[in-house]
Amino acid sequence: MISDRMSEILLLLQTEEWPTVAADTADVLAVDGIAVSAGNAPGGTEILWSSGRISRDFEDLQLTLGYGPGADCLAGGTAVRVPDLGRVREDRWPALVIEASALKVRAVFCFPLHIGAITLGVLTLVRSSPGHLARAQGDDVNVLAVALTKYVLGLGSPLLSAAENQELTAPVLHQAVLHQATGMVSVQLSVPLGEALLRLRAHAYSNSRTLTDTARDVVDRRLWLEPDPHPMNPTDDEDTDEDED
Amino acid sequence: MATREQQLTEVFVEVADSLIDDFDVIDFLQKLSVRCMELLDVAAVGILLADQNDRLHLLAASDEHTRLLELFALQHDQGPCVDCYRDGLPRINISLTDPTAATMWPQFARGAESVGFVATNALPLRLRGRIIGALSLFQSASEPLPDQDLTLAQALADVATIAILQQRTLAYSEAERDQLQYALNSRIVIEQVKGILTERWQMPIDEAFSVFRAYARAHNRKLSALARDIAEGTQDTDTIRTFAEQSAARDS
Repeated sequence: MISDRMSEILLLLQTEEWPTVAADTADVLAVDGIAVSAGNAPGGTEILWSSGRISRDFEDLQLTLGYGPGADCLAGGTAVRVPDLGRVREDRWPALVIEASALKVRAVFCFPLHIGAITLGVLTLVRSSPGHLARAQGDDVNVLAVALTKYVLGLGSPLLSAAENQELTAPVLHQAVLHQATGMVSVQLSVPLGEALLRLRAHAYSNSRTLTDTARDVVDRRLWLEPDPHPMNPTDDEDTDEDED
Repeated sequence: MATREQQLTEVFVEVADSLIDDFDVIDFLQKLSVRCMELLDVAAVGILLADQNDRLHLLAASDEHTRLLELFALQHDQGPCVDCYRDGLPRINISLTDPTAATMWPQFARGAESVGFVATNALPLRLRGRIIGALSLFQSASEPLPDQDLTLAQALADVATIAILQQRTLAYSEAERDQLQYALNSRIVIEQVKGILTERWQMPIDEAFSVFRAYARAHNRKLSALARDIAEGTQDTDTIRTFAEQSAARDS
């Protein structure tokens, strides 16, 4: 179940600048701060957005230390929920626990922004009081993570119409053919998987075809994408460090 | 040929091992699908999991032929598995040649027929009053499954549920959600890697996956872990291909 307020947030995400939505999102999730850090290496992340100071400071702290729930979330590819930093085993994140208390961060919840092996970053919620995320917020936060994954990848671009964004909802993202085509294009163009997915999307868009049909053509070997010298998206440049060919 | 009791014993030993060992959900469910197919003497088995939008996605299947995968994929919005997921009731011995099936689920019935299936069963993956997905069984003969086989099928479906949610973390419903998300994402990595391998090796996608799986089995690697290493470029894929060629040469 997704709450009505979260549905509104997801719509806003498609049309408005993230910073204006971040504070509202934190409010809907009943936390004190929310941040998205981009990057796919523990300690090598960069803060993309945050709702305000508490989140920004906590992200900075994790970056400085090079460890924390965010890095663990990236490394494990799964959510890391810390309902009470005061009860974490001492040797898990030694300095972080002490510093976090100075920032008045008591609970942290990290969710990976990823599509298969494409890792884009982490969504982190922080709260100054201990406890689990309220039950009703469970699906909200997972759906938000999917929406932000698309946003960070440049798929949920505000420049696209609502219908075009609609095509990239979770069901499409779970079609085997799309991911197979992504893998194929990444080899054809010698680019990381994330960029391959963007190239597929761009090709579908410029030919007025659906992403699924385009992916199927690639898998059936009716379509080969040509190398494109122009980067598709400003975030591409930041991702080039994952290309080790 | 092992007796049914022996086969069952092996399944339960595998389950126990999986829960104490380094665990890979896709790997485990894939083996469980094959076991299910053998024990119930059906033609194909798939394990489907619902995402946060209540859409079913295939996590593992007894075989990975693209046409079969597409049939499972059709069940994300129609078919007995969707119905079973919605109300939690099993759909048993559904004839696919019956006109009712074609009326209720036109694409699904057509797809199943084209692969040569004449009957199907859908059993719920249950978790304390919640349904998280479905076990899908296909038969190429129209003989109904006996009651004792259906009981066994439901037990295997329950085993799949436990595996997906990894018993140890059952304490919180939020941990369950995280496990579901993790399992769904692991499946995506496998598909991305199929694409990488089919293109790099210039061989059909099903064949590329067979080579990948044979290598993982022979080297005692987990499917998801090996897939991740390939996707991240830390696993040399030439080694895998060479291994396959050598095995083929040995076998001939």
